[in-house]
Amino acid sequence: MSDLMELEVKKLDFYYQNTIHALKNINLPIFQNKVTALIGPSGCGKTTLLRCFNRMHDLYPKNIYKGEIFFRGKNILVKDLDMIELRSRIGMVFQKPTPFPMTIFNNVAYGLKLRGIKDRDEIYQFVKTALMEAALWDEAKDKLNTSAYDLSGGQQQRLVIARALAVDPEVLLFDEPTSALDPISTAKIEELIVALKEKITIIIVTHNMQQAARISDWTGFMMLGDLIEFNKTEVMFTNPMEKLTQDYITGRFG
Amino acid sequence: MQGIKDKKKDPIKTIFALDAIFATITAIASSLVLFIIAGILIVLITKSWLSIKEFGVIGFIFSTDWDPVHKVFGAAASIYGTLVTTGFAMLIAVPSAIGIAIFVTEIAPNSLKSPIATAIELLAAIPSIIFGMWGLFTLAPIMSEYIEPAIQITLGRLPIVGAVFSGTTLGIDLFTASIILSIMILPFTASVSRDAFNLTPSIVKESAYAMGATQWEVIRDIVIPFSRRGVFGGIILSLGRALGETMAVAFVLGNNHQITASLFNAAATITVTLANEFTEADSDIYLSSLFYLALILFVMSFVILAIAKYFLVKSRNE
Amino acid sequence: MNNSNKRKIYNKIALAACSLTAALGLFWLVFILGDVILHGLSAINLDIFINDPAPPGVEQGGLRNAFVGQILITSLGVIVGVPLGILGATFLAEYARGTYISQIISIASDIMVSVPSIVIGTFVYALMVKPLGHFSGWAGALTLAIIMLPVVIRTTENMLNLVSWTLREAAFALGAPYYKVIFQVVYRGAATGILTGILLSVARVAGETAPLLFTSFNNTFFSLNMNEPISSLTVSIFQYAMGPYELWHKQAWAASLIITLTILLITILSRLIIKRRYGR
Repeated sequence: MSDLMELEVKKLDFYYQNTIHALKNINLPIFQNKVTALIGPSGCGKTTLLRCFNRMHDLYPKNIYKGEIFFRGKNILVKDLDMIELRSRIGMVFQKPTPFPMTIFNNVAYGLKLRGIKDRDEIYQFVKTALMEAALWDEAKDKLNTSAYDLSGGQQQRLVIARALAVDPEVLLFDEPTSALDPISTAKIEELIVALKEKITIIIVTHNMQQAARISDWTGFMMLGDLIEFNKTEVMFTNPMEKLTQDYITGRFG
Repeated sequence: MQGIKDKKKDPIKTIFALDAIFATITAIASSLVLFIIAGILIVLITKSWLSIKEFGVIGFIFSTDWDPVHKVFGAAASIYGTLVTTGFAMLIAVPSAIGIAIFVTEIAPNSLKSPIATAIELLAAIPSIIFGMWGLFTLAPIMSEYIEPAIQITLGRLPIVGAVFSGTTLGIDLFTASIILSIMILPFTASVSRDAFNLTPSIVKESAYAMGATQWEVIRDIVIPFSRRGVFGGIILSLGRALGETMAVAFVLGNNHQITASLFNAAATITVTLANEFTEADSDIYLSSLFYLALILFVMSFVILAIAKYFLVKSRNE
Repeated sequence: MNNSNKRKIYNKIALAACSLTAALGLFWLVFILGDVILHGLSAINLDIFINDPAPPGVEQGGLRNAFVGQILITSLGVIVGVPLGILGATFLAEYARGTYISQIISIASDIMVSVPSIVIGTFVYALMVKPLGHFSGWAGALTLAIIMLPVVIRTTENMLNLVSWTLREAAFALGAPYYKVIFQVVYRGAATGILTGILLSVARVAGETAPLLFTSFNNTFFSLNMNEPISSLTVSIFQYAMGPYELWHKQAWAASLIITLTILLITILSRLIIKRRYGR
């Protein structure tokens, strides 16, 4: 494959609370500047896998990773990894819009301020760029100093995306980002994701197969902690190799 | 057939009658609350009327006289003591309480959360008279011999600020009383803050972690702003409690009707005055003035509670 | 020092400071309880329970009358305050659920809870003591009942509201009248919570001193007559502690220990009940 690998998952096992074996021997590549979708029925481990990429599981006690995930050649599952640095290069958008209790401007500027950027003009430029990239600038430019809670659900999700973009990440993780949104907002976000892949590598977890088929380049199908199949999206949805994949896609379960 | 029909009519009537009776009983029981509150207000106003007429409102509140012999009374010294002890206690208790709440919600491992919560509840359950005992026999001597002289030698040397720490360090003073009061309101403030912090949705906290924020940054930038109304409401509620505390303060405040700049002097609060002098009042105007003090305290707690409720209700609606 | 390291250090300092405050809180608890236990244990002896107060200077005085008086006043306050509180809460959570009046009464209950207990003492003084011309155990009990009432109402109301509405609907569907639904379904479902609420309010009034100072006052003699001033542990502690005699101070400590242990036991008991019933 001529595509470069941004991330590579090698023999990954994951245990919740040191007991529940949630991921079993996962091996897959994540290609640069492509959208990779993870699909599968509830409880298959797709979100669990997603949260390994930015080590979210470390927030809770007794979660154990076994195996390796290489990010541009370096294993990020080592014990003494700098989380701050990792999470500024790999950002995340969640299922529900999660604006912080601040103004729109301060939301987007949050990551920048954390990093110690003090120059107000510099911050303003970054914020403006991020909001434009998230297709929210026009709607937000006149109310930058109002509370983020005043935005609609779809706008809030785009705000969250802008916030993640402002720190210039290399990878963005999306955890079912449109599941709480109406169809119009969903369409806007999908458009956004396709546009963003020019700059950024994107991994998206979705329970909506049609969404995966619409916007992703590569798709991984998971079930009960196993990665059943991983292929180019057109191939996966028209001519899958595994019977389980076929059954899932044709709606026989899940 | 006739028999069954009769049986069915009467029981239903009786049942409805019983229901109506029970409903009425419960209604009366609950309305007692309204009557008692109204009753307290009416009684307090009626009983203080003599003093209100004699000294007026502004006159009474701002007068520092408290002379049972010459029958001249004023609330200023008592109000001053109440405000100083409460204010100083809050100053110490609030940051500590928030720190405890942060510890319990964010730092403590799950296994420790329950024991610490129990410990806080136990501290809250200790009656105020026990605090008074401990304050009088244990804390005050320590204050008098070690802590207060130490403060006097250091902070007491500073200009202006030093006046706050002047005087003989007997240990029976505003300072000791405030410390005890702060320990008393600590558990309640910590509990309310903890409950407010727990309302922050974890998905928003995760969002902040996903941006690379440290634990403290998440607490400072997300949890605390998210819960600020609830925490503030809780603080105001604690203020109300501190205002009405009697026994914890009565043991260690002395009962000196004076307005003094120094925390190391004895003073008086409304509650302590009432506790010490109610049974000693030997004239109608004396008793009436004491009721007047009680009225002022009642109004103060009422206003404070209203403010607290405003913030708490607003925080729940966010 | 780069930004990342600076933030990590700041993080550690801030979290350590918070842990310190928790340690401080625990320190106070241990210090105060330890002190009460230390002083109290050394002062406790059989005389305290068996004898009535002796004149100052005479040994072997006790606080029997105070124990009895405390139990009398508190029990009476509970007997009056708790049923009224439960009934009142029943009105708010059941018959008047969601209405304007129930909101008003709930707010009034909150107001009542925050009225300083000494003010309630002055209220009862004006109502009962002054007109009758003397202090009495009845007045003390009434004061405690008034203090308890809103606490019981609020906790009971919350517990009743926790019982799901569908449970009531199921009972209605069987043709039960409301009062039967309340007694047989709602009270049963909320029983543990209500009991805990009662225990907690008892723990609260058992330690009250200020309002008793001018309602039940105090009595150096043993008395079961509620029409007279009656002795109570809490008021006795106050008077003995403020008095000049070492012997009195010792007895005050002994009484303090008893009260503290009783109240803490009730508190722990109610926590255990909640834990058993509602799980973690």
